[in-house]
Amino acid sequence: MTGQAVGLILLLPFFAAIAMPMLGSWRRSWCQPLALSSVGLMGLSALSASYIAVAQGPVQYAMGGWEPPVGIVLILDGFSSLIAVALSFVSLACLFFGGPLLPKDLGVKVVLYYSLVLMLISALAGITLAGDLFNLFVFIEVAALCSYALVGLAGGRGLMAAFRYLLLGTIGASFYLLGVGYFYAATGTLNMADFLVRLPDVLHSKAVFTGLIFIFLGLAIKAAMVPFHGWLPDAYSHAPAAVAPLLASLVTKVSLYAMIRIMFWVLGAGTLASELPILFLLGLGGAIAAVVGAFLALTQQDLRRMFAYGGISHVGLIVIGIAVGNKTGFAGGIFYMVNDAVMQATLFFIAGAIWHRCGARDLSQLGNLWAQMPWTSAALIVTALSMIGIPPTGGFFGKWYMVLGAMEATNYVAVAAILSSTLLTLAYFVRIIERIFGDKHSDPPVAQLTAEAPTEMRVSMGILAASILVLGLFSDQIVGLILRSAVPPGLG
Amino acid sequence: MFENLLSRPNFMTFIILFIFGLTIMVTHHNLIKKLIGMYLLQTSVFVFLVNTGAKFGSTVPILLSAGGSIEPSNYANPLPHALVVTGIVVGVSTLGVSLGLTIAIWRCYGSIEEDEINERLE
Repeated sequence: MTGQAVGLILLLPFFAAIAMPMLGSWRRSWCQPLALSSVGLMGLSALSASYIAVAQGPVQYAMGGWEPPVGIVLILDGFSSLIAVALSFVSLACLFFGGPLLPKDLGVKVVLYYSLVLMLISALAGITLAGDLFNLFVFIEVAALCSYALVGLAGGRGLMAAFRYLLLGTIGASFYLLGVGYFYAATGTLNMADFLVRLPDVLHSKAVFTGLIFIFLGLAIKAAMVPFHGWLPDAYSHAPAAVAPLLASLVTKVSLYAMIRIMFWVLGAGTLASELPILFLLGLGGAIAAVVGAFLALTQQDLRRMFAYGGISHVGLIVIGIAVGNKTGFAGGIFYMVNDAVMQATLFFIAGAIWHRCGARDLSQLGNLWAQMPWTSAALIVTALSMIGIPPTGGFFGKWYMVLGAMEATNYVAVAAILSSTLLTLAYFVRIIERIFGDKHSDPPVAQLTAEAPTEMRVSMGILAASILVLGLFSDQIVGLILRSAVPPGLG
Repeated sequence: MFENLLSRPNFMTFIILFIFGLTIMVTHHNLIKKLIGMYLLQTSVFVFLVNTGAKFGSTVPILLSAGGSIEPSNYANPLPHALVVTGIVVGVSTLGVSLGLTIAIWRCYGSIEEDEINERLE
């Protein structure tokens, strides 16, 4: 019976997405309530199933009654339940935030927007729940197709950004599929749990190694790890303001989740530590991404591009935490991943609200924003504290556990990368905050007549900014929960 | 090494198609040609997947006779075929979205040459 709730997490937004065009052609004003209620129900079923998964162990739902390894299976364990709950919470906030922006940005395409967004959320939930490598590919592609369409939805510059994103995303997906083909050829199974059982016999075959390389290349493109991040800044800065928070907070993070899932649950932590140099390479890639991303963010003038590069550097930070190869670092990385989803959503909310009210996207236009939009500025400051990593915000505790893990593993390169990325993050947020409080002569002085953002925007920004603080205040309990139920077996 | 590759013509086909596709995607400025390259790349992966299910001297995976014992080595592995069917569906949807985007780009910029569009974006 509990298995049904796992299926519902995925199916509720899916059916709402299918029903949306029909409902929208009849009553357009009912689209947002339907979207909100379906994602809200999804969150409830994710919460209830997660409660059971954490208390009694993984919940499994065999699609169509075919038991694994023959059938396709959805699995909710400690790790995926954490991501599923965060996913439904953040996407609920994003849908609520988008409401007032839509008529201005998209006009009559509102129905399409809701349909695509719900399909995207459903596919992302599918990625978190998939227990089968090929099924994971299908969900990744459904999510990617929805993202391409959403980036290009408003037309204009977004179209070219969407086209480039599509080309790179398809190369990534093809690499992933190729890797899955190698894995299947080597082991004869696609089920993740079954793969782990069969792996020791073929561990030293070249097919497994080649497949692994291809899968990681594919997912690295999807998760925008440096040097595969080229598509991200354009896509996220030209996407409609209602879409950007959803993409920035969820799509790369869920691709990263898929990578972690394959690393620790399909290949197994023991294999990674002893046989393959993949953790070392990932750690190095993460360190480069963390520093380079933050440095590029520092050089930007456009607010949204700056946040997008900040997101790239934070993906690198999460990877560092995962790749140090012990429990503390892993828990820190996962905790930081949840935090980062919330922080990225808030940052793009703020950029969207400023754009909606003042039409400003450039850093030089933000002069004296504090006086015009106090709520937005307050949310920005809370998020900035968390992005930099100052207690009592969630970002601090994530970084704290990652640094502890890296010290435990005597990996000082990781510590240095985390610290220097923190300094660079501080530098680019100082640039923004200096502007907000700074001179009253912004050129051109757009922020003169504007008032505060609409209530929906303020509420969703406020809730997410508050949840950053809540994540920080309850970090002990959450990290304890991760250590108890979301750490892969066999990790030291 | 080289004889090894020549004895696997199917694998060679996959590699040649894959590199063809990637080269077309990277070198051409025309968006439609880029999409052709993209489709070639996807198709090459399907060629590879189908190959993993092939066996010498085997037939389609339909039972030859109702009774008696079933000999798995007489049949090709059906699972890669099922994967490829799904993969083709995904590929066609990607192509559909990309062609839709191309039409929107043409309506917006009046061109599907990437360098011309970049000039207009400046």
